[in-house]
Amino acid sequence: METRNYSIFLTLLCVIGLVSPPAIAQDPLETENRRLEATPPPVIEPSIERRQITEADIDSEDIELTTFVGFVSIQDFGSDSIFGARLGYHITENVFMEASYGTATAGKTSFEELSGGAPFLTDDDRDFTVYDLAVGYNFNNELFIAEGWVFNSDFYFLAGAGATEFGGDERFTVSVGAGYRVLITDYFAVRFDIRDHIFNSDLIGEEKSTHNMAYSLGLSVFF
Amino acid sequence: MMHFNTLLKSAESLTINIKTRLATQQFKGCLLLFVSVMMAYPLTSYASTLNVEVAVPFINIHTGPASEYPIFYVAEKGENLSVLKSHTSWYKVVLPKGQQGWISAQSLNQTLYPDGSGVRVESGTFTDYANRDWELGIGIGLLEEVTSLSASASWVVTPNIATEITYSQALGDFAENKYWSIRLRHTTFPEWRLTPYLAIGAGQLRTSPRSNLVASGDASRSNDMMEVGGGIRYYMGSHLLMNLEYKSVLALTQRDEQEEIEEWKLGITVFF
Repeated sequence: METRNYSIFLTLLCVIGLVSPPAIAQDPLETENRRLEATPPPVIEPSIERRQITEADIDSEDIELTTFVGFVSIQDFGSDSIFGARLGYHITENVFMEASYGTATAGKTSFEELSGGAPFLTDDDRDFTVYDLAVGYNFNNELFIAEGWVFNSDFYFLAGAGATEFGGDERFTVSVGAGYRVLITDYFAVRFDIRDHIFNSDLIGEEKSTHNMAYSLGLSVFF
Repeated sequence: MMHFNTLLKSAESLTINIKTRLATQQFKGCLLLFVSVMMAYPLTSYASTLNVEVAVPFINIHTGPASEYPIFYVAEKGENLSVLKSHTSWYKVVLPKGQQGWISAQSLNQTLYPDGSGVRVESGTFTDYANRDWELGIGIGLLEEVTSLSASASWVVTPNIATEITYSQALGDFAENKYWSIRLRHTTFPEWRLTPYLAIGAGQLRTSPRSNLVASGDASRSNDMMEVGGGIRYYMGSHLLMNLEYKSVLALTQRDEQEEIEEWKLGITVFF
């Protein structure tokens, strides 16, 4: 029993002696002797590959997913709430591309309201859906709210093209807009966006170019 | 409760086993072998962030991922930085004293890995363009005098050859033309910034007359199509390319005449 405890103690001492040689810097001969009797040459040469982290392992956060709600003023058909999602890709610190999708439901035209006659569109046709692909340009800046409270932010312009489905028709749409994005953290932002969706429509009678302004507030996540 | 008891019992039997073998040389040898293996295994390889060392006299650290954000710290030669993540061509780093900041890709290329080799990250330069794997593009153009919009994705096989899938739609006053196609693109001089290219492919074209003209009797028709086209592309810098293209689309219709449609397109492409 005692010899066994003694051998345990010796083994532990050898282990400590091997792992922290600088700590036992007393008699060099004694340490050398101890080390010689404690370290037999290893039978197997371990070949461990050093795992190298390369730049390919660095997480990139260039994609931005935004959900937004707001108001869209549909020319001749009143204004209604719009909601949708945007998926953006940031190319450089100033340039980004964004795909956007939003839906709203149009109201009645003033003619329909005042005359009480037959409606122009069925209820299904009143669904207003706009999607577009846009290229934007950021102006990076900082937002100083109060002393010591600063957020990185950017003001952006964007221009894009897409299509609007409204009144049973799908029309080519040009979107121009601007917005302001406040980066609460590196990966979370709040956006205020104004866009004008311009498309030709002949729902009222003659073909004309309609402007439909959409104002929205969105929350984005970068990943 | 049952689990815990069995666990205790197995732990007990294990310690009894160990105790009976403690006196043996065999166990001592095993333990020392284990220790020598542990000493040989480099513990720093468990780190999940990239640690780099500054190799130039100084590197500027910004407060945000753009050159306009102010520089709040200057890292000197020999300082260690830990890279956390990237946003566009900016990398977030942790400084030796714990603060966090952003450095540009060019700055990161002036640091060294722990083993002494230089860090090389891609930053949209012309060399990176030559090594690109895939591209995404959008384009705006004219399909038979109707404004068309297209989106495409390409996979670059060799420096000269790429495969591309495109979706394009032209919503006109009288009809809507929508098509998708898969095509093979050959870039003639990939080592030049401005280079011509040729493409050939096939897909499907759907033509639908406008809803208020449906009474005319034509319903929406879908045809297979073949396309051939060519254009020029220009490398603009920072991951961007511009291309101007002419495309001739041949719709293989059921009717006596084949329908030929022409499209001009101006596009902007991002490469990775």
